[in-house]
Amino acid sequence: MLEIKNLHARIENKDILKGVDLRLGAGEVHAIMGPNGSGKSTLSKLLAGHEDYTITEGSVSFLGEDLLELAPELRAAKGIFLGFQYPVEIPGVSNMVFLKAALNAQRKARGEKELDAGDFLAWVKHRVKQMQMNPAMLSRGVNEGFSGGEKKRNEILQMLVLEPKLMVLDETDSGLDIDALKVVADGINLMRSKERSVLLVTHYQRLLDYVKPDFVHVLAGGRIVKSGGPELALELEEKGYGWIQQAA
Amino acid sequence: MLDLATFRSAFEALPEPARSSARRKALDAFLAGGLPSTDLEEWKYTDLSPLAALPPAALLPEAEAAGEGIGFTDALDALNAAFAGGSTELRIAADTRRDEPIRPADRAHQRHRLHLERGAEATLILNTSGDGAFETVFADIRLDAGARLNLVRLNDAGADAHRLTRINMHLARDACANVVTVDLGGRLSRHDLNVDLAEPGAAIHLHGLYAPAGEGHVDNHTRIEHRAPHCTSREQYRGIARDKARGVFNGMIRVHKDAQKTDSEQRIANLILSPGAEINAKPELEIYADDVKCAHGATFGQLDDEALFYLRSRGLPESTARALLTWTFAHEVLQHIHQEDVRGRVTRRLLRQLPNSEQLEALQ
Repeated sequence: MLEIKNLHARIENKDILKGVDLRLGAGEVHAIMGPNGSGKSTLSKLLAGHEDYTITEGSVSFLGEDLLELAPELRAAKGIFLGFQYPVEIPGVSNMVFLKAALNAQRKARGEKELDAGDFLAWVKHRVKQMQMNPAMLSRGVNEGFSGGEKKRNEILQMLVLEPKLMVLDETDSGLDIDALKVVADGINLMRSKERSVLLVTHYQRLLDYVKPDFVHVLAGGRIVKSGGPELALELEEKGYGWIQQAA
Repeated sequence: MLDLATFRSAFEALPEPARSSARRKALDAFLAGGLPSTDLEEWKYTDLSPLAALPPAALLPEAEAAGEGIGFTDALDALNAAFAGGSTELRIAADTRRDEPIRPADRAHQRHRLHLERGAEATLILNTSGDGAFETVFADIRLDAGARLNLVRLNDAGADAHRLTRINMHLARDACANVVTVDLGGRLSRHDLNVDLAEPGAAIHLHGLYAPAGEGHVDNHTRIEHRAPHCTSREQYRGIARDKARGVFNGMIRVHKDAQKTDSEQRIANLILSPGAEINAKPELEIYADDVKCAHGATFGQLDDEALFYLRSRGLPESTARALLTWTFAHEVLQHIHQEDVRGRVTRRLLRQLPNSEQLEALQ
């Protein structure tokens, strides 16, 4: 599904990624862990098409297509979703209006029929229920005055409504209490399927208790320095990152 | 000085009963004073000479004479006094609330006096959205102790429209006014808003949006005089300029020496959407009291890149994302309009002015 080869990227003349290689097959869940400043967020944003980064070397292909050539909105239409570490507030635009505009813009870009108001409403209400959210939030401004936990939950709701193929979740678990974490994890698990892949960028092993990854990678100093199974996350939790950075 | 013969001939073309001596006196005062020149600091960015070039038929003085004996303070005020008709003189009795907003008839030249007696409450909607090429609306508003006024001023006239508006407000003890003023479009608009916080406890909340487009020019001048202690002023103005349009904002806040415990805040934000567009925004604070809280700030810029990326990452095309963020920027002001018909109308007009906003029709 996703193939990253020797990816180098910089921002404002500072090298952040220094040769990342990563392959995600369809249906797989990968976790990327690593210390602060290792390039985790850069990698996530870059996959979604953030324009502040310059790619100096390497390639990224998504479903056989060169991803780096595509504008962010086209990547979204192809099926990439980024769950933001810090979701943006859009006052005055209700979640309902926003979700409908986003879903229909994606459908239009894919040459599919746009949903009418009634069908959309039924669909979004179904998802709101699954996320155990109050339907009243649909008429509130996007993330407007939401707590940190509400914002993250709203990210997952957007993901459930938009039904992407590749879900990149950038520290979606940080700042959540256990109840909110479970709801977020349930949302991710709901989306897991043979056709969809997940890239979980996280600082903590805690989320991985609820969303079982197939592979765990450690990103440090702009490179993936170690890969393994779920047991690697436990080892990191116990020993920290120092031993890996030294070994690398 | 500019030749103002067109103003005289437009006036002389009125039927005899409309050419009252009071109106003629006002006309003469205007012709003697002339249009203010850009040499004056107050008019530095706004050149009114295009008004002198309008054909007499575009000036449209009202055929129905205004009330007699209305004085005037300067040449433009005199022009309005000469041209206005069917003026509203309205008094809201003490401790009564008028539920229906006051909506003066849509005339080219309007001159209003509104007096809210002690504890009265009312809403006034002033509209200069008509088709006329030249319209003037001047209003004098007096709030007695504890009176409350909601005022909405709306100008969404067409691309050739020239508008002069001036609102003077006088607030007595504990009176409170909420003002929303919106300029969308038009060729030339100058709006003066002068507020006297004359007695302790008076409060004014101003929310302004101006969004000139095309070759439009919008100038907002506000002046808030804190003359007494314990008064509050909140002022938020937002400008959005695109194409070759120009916006001007000048916000004077003067805290007089007796106005201790003044609580004042002014926030200015501007969005420049096209390289050819321009906004000149100037806060002016004069503080002569020592125990006051005065905050002010101004931002200029383009749309927030992170917010733009967020919207695009959800699939919205860049132009739609820009339209949506521009709308959000305007919404901070428009949310203070509580009349749904007025807010809907402004929203529709604003969206029409933004590119690729069809995905956002639901915002209406």
